[in-house]
Amino acid sequence: MHISDGVLPLAVTIGGYGASAGFAAWSARRILSRDLPKVAVVTSAFFVASLVHIPFGPTSTHLLLPGLAGALLGPGAFVAIGLGLLLQSVLFQFGGITALGANALMMGVPAVVCGWFFQQFKGRTQGRQAIAGGLAGALGTAMAGVFLAIFLVTAGEDFFGVAKLALAAHVPVMVIEGVISGFTIGFLARVKPALLLQSSFQDKTRSFHD
Amino acid sequence: MTKIRKGLAMSVLCFYLAGLSGPLWAQDPPDETAGEVIVLLKEQNRKLSKDLRRIQREIAALRADLAKPGIKDVFAGIGYIFGLCGVAAFVAARRKE
Repeated sequence: MHISDGVLPLAVTIGGYGASAGFAAWSARRILSRDLPKVAVVTSAFFVASLVHIPFGPTSTHLLLPGLAGALLGPGAFVAIGLGLLLQSVLFQFGGITALGANALMMGVPAVVCGWFFQQFKGRTQGRQAIAGGLAGALGTAMAGVFLAIFLVTAGEDFFGVAKLALAAHVPVMVIEGVISGFTIGFLARVKPALLLQSSFQDKTRSFHD
Repeated sequence: MTKIRKGLAMSVLCFYLAGLSGPLWAQDPPDETAGEVIVLLKEQNRKLSKDLRRIQREIAALRADLAKPGIKDVFAGIGYIFGLCGVAAFVAARRKE
């Protein structure tokens, strides 16, 4: 799910860059300095996950993991995903460099929303955290599909046609992402629950500068 | 003496040339009508173009393989990410002071 070069009109490209720059600045200020190693690890996991191909019928799709990144990083996920996408487009030629702003919005906003969703519904027990994580993983992919459809509408496509296609193609990915995110978060809840606490959502006074 | 030698060498050369040209005559096209030759040529053409298509397919597959990111790209990206986070941590640590 990457938009390539030359698909989007110029205004959307520039607008995408502007909006994602704003989001990235907001997101970067929410990252605590002690969380930076976690950000690095989640960013690299997101970066590499796109290489895990899932064969599906005649075509194949790959993991996206915005939900997992959001659940682990909260608002900081936008920076993580933006950096991961930048390196993916430079090193792997996934998605065009001009469409980077739109791609970052398409994956980053769902990630932040999933992070919020996960923090709201994670509850206290490990099982509930795993379920909330799995739902966040599936929701992230679904939202990314909807964003993709919105962006492609600006390129002159029919919204419902594209949205249906994007969602249908990503249904197996949604299921797999949900399972992977659920297992990962369940595992983390068991071995290192501190990773799932997010001071940056609740504690707004602390920021990058603390 | 040298004359005899020269004569011997010439005769050997003549025999050799005769031997060489022998197969050339034998390779004359057999008695076939033009239609049969065309059929043969078409057959050959078909085989060649089949081979060519196979090779083109292989080249396309190779190109697709080359476009795929390799292990080097993966580690380069991970290195970039860790490096950039390291710079961010450095800046954050300096600001804290």
